[in-house]
Amino acid sequence: MRCSACGEELTTPLGCASCGVLHSVEEHPDPYELFGIERDVQVDQKALRKKLMRFSRLVHPDFFGDAEPEVRELAERNSSQLNAAFGLLSDDYRRAEYLVESLGGPTTKDVRDMPQAFLMEVMEWNETLEEARGESSHEALEDLTKLHFSLQSERSHLIKAIEGQLTPLPEHSADVLGNVRRQLNAIRYIDRALHEIEELRLERASEDKACPTSNSTS
Amino acid sequence: MPYLELDVLNNAPAPIVGIDLGTTNSLVAVWRDDRPAVLKPEGKSGRIPSAVHFPTTGPPIVGQKARAHALTDPSSTILSIKRFMGRGLKDVAEDLETLPFPSSETDNGLLQFDVRGRKYSPQELSALILRHIREVASELLDGANVFRAVITVPAYFDDTQRAATRDAAKLAGLDVERIINEPTAASLAYGLDQRKDGTVAVYDLGGGTFDVSILSIEEGVFRVLATSGDTHLGGDDFDRVLIDHALERMGPEAVKAAADPAFRQGLKLSAEACKMKLSSAAKAEFQFASPDHGISWCELVTRDTFEELIAPLVNKTLDSCRRALKDAGLELDDVDEVVLVGGSTRVPLVAKRVAEFFGSKPHTELDPDEVVALGAAVQGHVLSGGTREVLLLDVTPLSLGIETMGGAMSKIIARNSPIPGQATEGFTTYADNQTGIDFNVLQGERELAADCRSLGRFKLSGIPPMPAGMARVGVRFALDANGILTVTAKEETTGQSASIDVQPMHGLTDDEVEVMLSESYEHAQADFDARRVADLRTEIGTMIRATERALGQAGEALDRETRTDIEEAVAEARRQSETGGLDEVQGARDHLEQATLPLAALLMDGVAKTALTGKKMGDV
Repeated sequence: MRCSACGEELTTPLGCASCGVLHSVEEHPDPYELFGIERDVQVDQKALRKKLMRFSRLVHPDFFGDAEPEVRELAERNSSQLNAAFGLLSDDYRRAEYLVESLGGPTTKDVRDMPQAFLMEVMEWNETLEEARGESSHEALEDLTKLHFSLQSERSHLIKAIEGQLTPLPEHSADVLGNVRRQLNAIRYIDRALHEIEELRLERASEDKACPTSNSTS
Repeated sequence: MPYLELDVLNNAPAPIVGIDLGTTNSLVAVWRDDRPAVLKPEGKSGRIPSAVHFPTTGPPIVGQKARAHALTDPSSTILSIKRFMGRGLKDVAEDLETLPFPSSETDNGLLQFDVRGRKYSPQELSALILRHIREVASELLDGANVFRAVITVPAYFDDTQRAATRDAAKLAGLDVERIINEPTAASLAYGLDQRKDGTVAVYDLGGGTFDVSILSIEEGVFRVLATSGDTHLGGDDFDRVLIDHALERMGPEAVKAAADPAFRQGLKLSAEACKMKLSSAAKAEFQFASPDHGISWCELVTRDTFEELIAPLVNKTLDSCRRALKDAGLELDDVDEVVLVGGSTRVPLVAKRVAEFFGSKPHTELDPDEVVALGAAVQGHVLSGGTREVLLLDVTPLSLGIETMGGAMSKIIARNSPIPGQATEGFTTYADNQTGIDFNVLQGERELAADCRSLGRFKLSGIPPMPAGMARVGVRFALDANGILTVTAKEETTGQSASIDVQPMHGLTDDEVEVMLSESYEHAQADFDARRVADLRTEIGTMIRATERALGQAGEALDRETRTDIEEAVAEARRQSETGGLDEVQGARDHLEQATLPLAALLMDGVAKTALTGKKMGDV
């Protein structure tokens, strides 16, 4: 893709590194395209961060302080789009979900059935969580830590499995997308549980501090 | 030479100053000689107390002089106004109880204080402080016109608090080039000072607010990963617990007397002094006397006691640190550097607990009072096109969303999302032929709309009649680089643009800002008039003295009529200069001048004659 103003090759469709002109893109652009990277379920995070910084220097409103109002507005818009694309590409769940949906795969709502065994597992987590909520004993806290650890490892197994199924990218509406969706849904359950555990831990850490005799600062 | 200097000033673009509008003190800094510098008078501190005093007559006084009135005239002196920015009566009920003047709320929740018979919103009071800062900056910049500014706010300020700050600046005649977060500004100043890449935690405990931000600094880009805090926790609260402790020791008489604002204000100043001494000493006297209430009290407070009192408050700040780390997806070990910002980090317990928490010695190389203003000046330099080396990528501190059916909060932009940012969410109608939808824009982390802050309501109307659930309404949230939200809504099936009208809560509408601005111009005119009258009075005084002396010397030579004219004009000038407005005083002065012309001519004649006879003019 070339810059419509100066003809140089563009590193991002949002703006030109060569002449500094901002370009307008559609409302919901392809995040991979904005970052000029291959459509792949795996994204090199360090390279992505470098690009965020490089492109931010091209489009951030801070550098258009004295520009015309329309240009300033475009800088706000392009910066927002860059940030949104970065948010998606730096999140393994959202990345996979984006690919599934753009390949015509099912949405969360389309796949409501989860395996019975998994649902049983979810009920077990909830029990552990409930117990930990009820009592603030050392033991309950340890159970919580164990659960957190096992959920995290289950999550990374699922992510690996998803990445395997999406590499190379399957064809449009391929059957495998249904399976990936189910795994993504499982991750949603896991993430919710992880979130609740973390909230509970924050609460516990806070109660710990409120007691002046206990001396745990780690 | 002066002309040359003026010319240079006129050709140079207006500087973008950095203003740290603090709860207790404010500072202003600017970029010069390749670095940021706090503007301060020779040999003095750059701190400008964020205090406003309304004297019985004349324009309001701001700064050090205003603060001095806090004790003598508390009911017309305003301190810590920042605590009330963008808040409603309910939000700040506890603070309002201790205020020595009445407060009320307008229909859309704008707080107002009754001072000397006039109502002032926090925005207007902050504008007075900002206007003073402008004048100070202009003076210290050799008369440069200061009208462009970067203003800092606590990172944890919500949308209404940011908008209130922006409106205050507008009222003060400032173009707000950017609103940036205080801890982020501090990291800019430090990052430039240290020039090191890594992960930094900024712990900013000021007079009234607490923020913690976790940033990654890489190749000049300062990227905020997460922020957390409390807009109602700071040094003021340390004073409060110390006051409560002292009152308890003083006994029931004192507790009763604390209802008196002057008493309370005196206690506050005593508590502050005691707190500051405890920063360097193991014990300090809490000295307090109120002759009005017959109370004189002095007792030693040990640092241990003080630390016990403030421990729960310090613990609260550490809770925020934990949350920020969690939101950043980091562990304690990932934090390379810790930076302390804000005057309250001078309290030893604070520095100690923060060091223990992060397991590393915090940076305190830069003055914790100045570092935020310095960072704002850096950002001002960036915005004026001075450099592309430095770039701030900040986040929004709180989630933003819409109230949905059943009173739930549906998040559209999650907290710690980068700014600028935008997101669109689809909504539909729930009844057949529904032509309008009411939206309640929310900010906060709670699940229920009622527990979140309502930023405003708007109605989308003009939806074409169709069966329920058929309309497709896209609600777009856009956060600009200042972290201020704009909401737009559009019905998409017809593409028909529909009108929206957001009514800001606890804020000012654009119209109100306009009205206040024109009022402030009128005030500016009134101030100008008052100054002119004062000048005329002085002039009239000088004229009368000169006239009386001249009458004594040459009065005999005047005819009776002229003499009577002069005497009448003098009397009139005396009378008008005591009670008259600008026009009357000006008229009386002009009349006096007119009436004394024959006398002046006579004298000039005399001067000429005496000069000719060889006498010096000064002898006449």
